[in-house]
Amino acid sequence: MSGLVAITGFGFVGAPGCGSQAAAHALARGEAVVRPIDDTSGYLPAGAPRTAALVDREDLVPHLLPGQARRMSPPARYAVAAARMALAEAGLADVEEEGGPAAVVLATAFGPASYTERLCRQIFLEGPEAASPALFTECVASAAASQVAISCGAHGVNLTVVQREAGPLAAVLRAAEEVASGRARRALAGSVDEMTPLLLAALAQMRALGEPCRPFDRARAGMLAGEGAAVLLLEREEEARARGARVLATVEAGVRAFDPTAGRAGWGRGGEALAGRLRGGLARASLAEGTVDAVVSGASGARTGDALEAAVLRAWRAELPPVLVPKAVLGEYGGSLLAGALLAVQGRPFGPTPHFREPEREGVVPHDGRALPPPRRVLVTALAAGGAAAWMVLGAARA
Amino acid sequence: MGAVSACGWGVPALERALHAGNTEIRPLRRFDTTGQRTRVGGEVPPVPEEVRRAFPEWRRLSWADRFALAASREAVSEASLPESLEALEVGVFFASSTGGMPEAERWLAQMIRDPVASHPGALGSQQVNGPGDAVARRLRVCGPVETLSSACASGALALGAALSALRRGEVELAVAGGADALCLTTYAGFNALRSVDEAPCRPFQGSRAGLSLGEGAGVLVLETVASARRRGVAALAEVAGAGASCDAYHMTAPHPDGAVAAGAARQALEDAGLTPAAVDFVNAHGTGTPHNDAAEWSALRGLLGERAARVPVEATKALVGHLLGSAGALEAVVTVLGLRAGLLHPVPGEEAVDPDTPVELVRGGPLALPGARAALSLNLAFGGANAAVVLTAWTGP
Repeated sequence: MSGLVAITGFGFVGAPGCGSQAAAHALARGEAVVRPIDDTSGYLPAGAPRTAALVDREDLVPHLLPGQARRMSPPARYAVAAARMALAEAGLADVEEEGGPAAVVLATAFGPASYTERLCRQIFLEGPEAASPALFTECVASAAASQVAISCGAHGVNLTVVQREAGPLAAVLRAAEEVASGRARRALAGSVDEMTPLLLAALAQMRALGEPCRPFDRARAGMLAGEGAAVLLLEREEEARARGARVLATVEAGVRAFDPTAGRAGWGRGGEALAGRLRGGLARASLAEGTVDAVVSGASGARTGDALEAAVLRAWRAELPPVLVPKAVLGEYGGSLLAGALLAVQGRPFGPTPHFREPEREGVVPHDGRALPPPRRVLVTALAAGGAAAWMVLGAARA
Repeated sequence: MGAVSACGWGVPALERALHAGNTEIRPLRRFDTTGQRTRVGGEVPPVPEEVRRAFPEWRRLSWADRFALAASREAVSEASLPESLEALEVGVFFASSTGGMPEAERWLAQMIRDPVASHPGALGSQQVNGPGDAVARRLRVCGPVETLSSACASGALALGAALSALRRGEVELAVAGGADALCLTTYAGFNALRSVDEAPCRPFQGSRAGLSLGEGAGVLVLETVASARRRGVAALAEVAGAGASCDAYHMTAPHPDGAVAAGAARQALEDAGLTPAAVDFVNAHGTGTPHNDAAEWSALRGLLGERAARVPVEATKALVGHLLGSAGALEAVVTVLGLRAGLLHPVPGEEAVDPDTPVELVRGGPLALPGARAALSLNLAFGGANAAVVLTAWTGP
């Protein structure tokens, strides 16, 4: 890819609010923004966390009027709002301005969970004839990507990647490839998910939640569940500069792999092999490892997930650059990783990693909040439950 | 190639049923259809013992995982590959709409009844990426694994993703396909939309009244010509090009003018270095819904011009039902079978083709097309996603 594809717009929806400033302020403070979970359904087991990094839906109103949101599932609302923010930052009224199709590539881990649950409840409790067609239409995993295409007039390839924690990077890399190859003039790429009491209950049953969330800490017990969206506007760097757009960063390389030692819902032990894949991929992209000045890690506080992440990073490079962990602040969803990655490569400050006290032996010590020089490149990492892995290198914008 | 469908387990069972031309869409047994408007679907028959025995973990697998693993095992075996692909540069590019939804429904029903008594075991493989991950794990794949869930276009998009990864050298071999299982939620949902026919679906026919749901898997092993030569294996066909687009028009209705869908097909042909005049036959999306077939006809007319009413069209969903996310994968398998045998499968029934969608539907028995060189497989999805794949007969060594 070699710096060919630029990021010129960014939209964010998350617990701290909407827009990149909301994410930046939260990451600079180093404190998670959490809200209580509505458990009137009684799904949550005893002892499960009662808070998560949830979106305040009032925050969406400036970006998506209630009348427009009415027929959209929550993930579609988040994604459309984020896409509109990305377009606005890129200075585009129309994603297909100046011609050429625009691609939409979004990742989701769980899809429209609340609508799916509501539909299932109708079917189970009232009978199949009670199923709502409006709910069903918005239950498909690709509903958010479709709504973004409709809202923004994007006629290029429309893809929804479902690959758990690795999905967001896979989505951005695929979008970058669409742009680099010329199949798309521009692309809206990112990740969206919603968190519901039912999903939280499922995660609690699997013992995946931890309170407090403390990535890489030896006492970590699980993740902080989160929700929202992050959408990036990608275009060819020379075209962006020609139209006077501000380049936020460039997508320089991507590497994908799989760890076949992973179980269906967990992480494996293939750290050495994954690190080999990462090294090989970076070498093929002719990227000197020493020019990576920070790691934006997908670590979330998951017990085995963070252990694998530490093993990969340790095997990749003996002297690690600062390791930033945005999911500790913004919660576990793809948008938090993408937001952290873009803000990190722009040299925005990151506060200390919340609740970190003591690393494991051979573990990783995450960022302690000290000021960092602007990076030349950041490595973004994502190891997924189930075995998939993806890494992406973002380059700082050239003057 | 590997396949699981209402026709049975394996490509030979599929090919026999295709040529017989009888629909395998029948009353469902998988779940109770009481209260549903319709009662039929393309349900996969019981698994043969030799297939089940090959997977010791069978009982713990979701239906979609079972279909995916069985089809992948068949495809890898036909490609003369070892059971472990750890030593090769391999990726898995998979499609699914429902993943392990039937298993998730069981868990949710437990949660509604008694959250304290519910157990997450039923959720283990409920996710959409479950089948693709299961295939990668079973084959010990170490390269990229990507699951796409772009509704009914997913299977063709997965083939396109695999083709792209092969061309840029990310992998030298790809296991590409899709798997989906029938479940209550999609069955009731499509019924709620009034888009399911009470009878087996009748694509492009005047009295068509909707789709029929199906289930199964289609898997193709793709590799570079250099890799195939190095391994000394003969290719079955060439995936020559892929294209995709989005109507950006409506969440459920395709754009009636079909222009953007035609653009996906045109892109696939250009990718293959071919013109529309080279298309010898089409494996249509052909769901049997009034709007979808009409939009597809518009797309074909826009692409093929006057030839649109003369180019033979297969409509596989009339035999096996609509496999949703994996439809494009199974239909690619069917298209390759057509190219290899020079024989296109018929669509059941004798009703005349709708004069408003006057495709040259293969009827009354298989159509011999021995000189067929290039075929177009088209899929149009919910939300306006369109995907096209161009497959060509293999003429190399």
